[in-house]
Amino acid sequence: MVDIARVQKELQECNKDKDSSGISVKLKGGNSLTHLVGSIPGPLATPYEGGTFLIDIVIPDGYPFEPPKMQFVTRVWHPNISSQSGAICLDILKKEWSPALTIKTALVSIQALLSAPEPDDPQDAVVAQQYLKDYQTFANTARYWTEAYAKSSSVGIEEKVRRLVEMGFPEVMAKDALDAVGGDENAALEKLCS
Amino acid sequence: MEAADEIEDQADEQICDSFVCCVCLDLLYKPIVLACGHVSCFWCVHRCMNGLRESHCPICRHPYHHFPTICQMLHFLLLKMYPVTYKRRGTQTLEYEKSIDCFSPEIKDPVHATSDSEKSNHQGDAGQLSPTDAREPSSSLSSLREGQAAANMEEQRFPPSFECVCLNQLKENSSGGLEVTNSDAAEEKLKSGKDNGAQVRVSIADMLCVACIQLLYRPVVLNCGHVFCETCISIPADEKLRCHVCQSLHPNGIPKVCLELHHFLEIQFPTEYELRRNTIKQVDSQQEAPHIESNKQRDHLSFTPEENFSPPWGDHNVHVHFGVGCDFCGMFPIIGNRYRCKDCVEAIGFDLCGDCYNTRSKLPGRFNQQHTPEHSFEVVGSNSIRRTILRLIMGQVEDGAAAPNIPEIDLENPENAIHPADDNVEVDGGNESVSFLISTSNPQEQSDEQSPPM
Repeated sequence: MVDIARVQKELQECNKDKDSSGISVKLKGGNSLTHLVGSIPGPLATPYEGGTFLIDIVIPDGYPFEPPKMQFVTRVWHPNISSQSGAICLDILKKEWSPALTIKTALVSIQALLSAPEPDDPQDAVVAQQYLKDYQTFANTARYWTEAYAKSSSVGIEEKVRRLVEMGFPEVMAKDALDAVGGDENAALEKLCS
Repeated sequence: MEAADEIEDQADEQICDSFVCCVCLDLLYKPIVLACGHVSCFWCVHRCMNGLRESHCPICRHPYHHFPTICQMLHFLLLKMYPVTYKRRGTQTLEYEKSIDCFSPEIKDPVHATSDSEKSNHQGDAGQLSPTDAREPSSSLSSLREGQAAANMEEQRFPPSFECVCLNQLKENSSGGLEVTNSDAAEEKLKSGKDNGAQVRVSIADMLCVACIQLLYRPVVLNCGHVFCETCISIPADEKLRCHVCQSLHPNGIPKVCLELHHFLEIQFPTEYELRRNTIKQVDSQQEAPHIESNKQRDHLSFTPEENFSPPWGDHNVHVHFGVGCDFCGMFPIIGNRYRCKDCVEAIGFDLCGDCYNTRSKLPGRFNQQHTPEHSFEVVGSNSIRRTILRLIMGQVEDGAAAPNIPEIDLENPENAIHPADDNVEVDGGNESVSFLISTSNPQEQSDEQSPPM
């Protein structure tokens, strides 16, 4: 039994100051208040600057006594976020959750996590290793992923991949080609044909 | 219907941020003040509590172990300030209670507050009564009488001063010389706008300390729900803090000041609050020693120190009754002996911890059970098999996401005989642990029947 009234209030509150905070929450589609999409801007002075990251939010039955389930929809290169599934390793989304926290505060915490990674408690071991051993490469990759997946120009990249696949290219190659040329479909096609 | 109500609410009553519950984000209903000074609704606090170990304040994570009683003073204050919204919250809560078939204590409101004498009546009811009297519906008559008696007393002591105070405050409101934040300003405006209407306004009589009978200064709320000035509370030589009003024991030393109430008083009664501040400062400077002493006291005193609350299920000498709370002092889960009422018919049952069984009157429960002193009790031992299984599950749960709110582990408790020792009950432990497993493996069910017996 989700506390509908509370979720509604949270949505109103959160979208009230979305222009200043940049954080917004929308319904995932349909009228269900149990499946939402949050959006946070990448923090300034980090490799994620300029990106807009989408987060899938599922409100469990026990909310607010249980934490909301959150994971990244936008792919992101970060030690505490799975580069494959988007799963987030953050204590307040797990056992440190408190009913006084809200969807908004959780999103703010995730934004803070983007600017302060915790490589000692990793979700993605590969990224964490890279972060610890070769920070420069890590930063470059993270910046590249932000460019590739979290910029508005890269929205619809899935669509482009789908079209290239329809043309007969394998999906992996199509993705790589698009990544390599920064998301330009025609350039990617040229690269694939060359 | 509800939407229409809400629109009406918004037009009529702008809820001050101080009185919004941090859990349901709505107006506080039947407020409970925790020892850390944070306030939440009765059901919100209850649902936040953990039936397996100590609970933590949702805001500051301060650990606590006792489910406090509703703060009646705050209850009547909110009822007076926001009658429409408070009523809506009441209806809402009752619906929820019906759905889980478990009810919060009724708080009897003797007279509708419209005049000063009735206002003090409120105070009488909120402050002068022991919480047990006020909670028991069948004793509402006696509580009414006592409330009136108290009110009469107060009236004699403070004849016309209440009205003056209110007038002073009004003058200040209208002169607009106060520095207030936005929401407070809106609230103040609202209040002065309401004065010509039927709405009642809050007076000092609503906010008196039950010990010094003056305006509360830096209010603290004890486990029993009674409100005192911070300075009116001292710990006697035997190091057990008891409420002056109802004599019930307050666990864990002096509670922290309820800051929401403190700020509200500061804004509501600026001159009087300043006056109280100055008087108390003077007293302090005259006798500095006691103040320091009281601070010292505060530091070393703790009846159940946090560190002592190590997971007791590891200790075979301690009985922990997971998911069961004491209906008198609110200890949840009960540690030590548990006494269960054999005659209460409510699903939630009626239980007492060893101390309360031995020392205190066993008056009505935290969930409006119709318990009477004629009912008989039995000792219930904790179950070692169940404990082992719980320990295993807790191990998993610790790594998992949410802290489980384990409901009704003991509702279908088949232990009807007296089990003085824990090891004697191994035999009938099996089916209980099974029922427990089922209830944890189905979180849906779990949240639906949120009603661990207290």
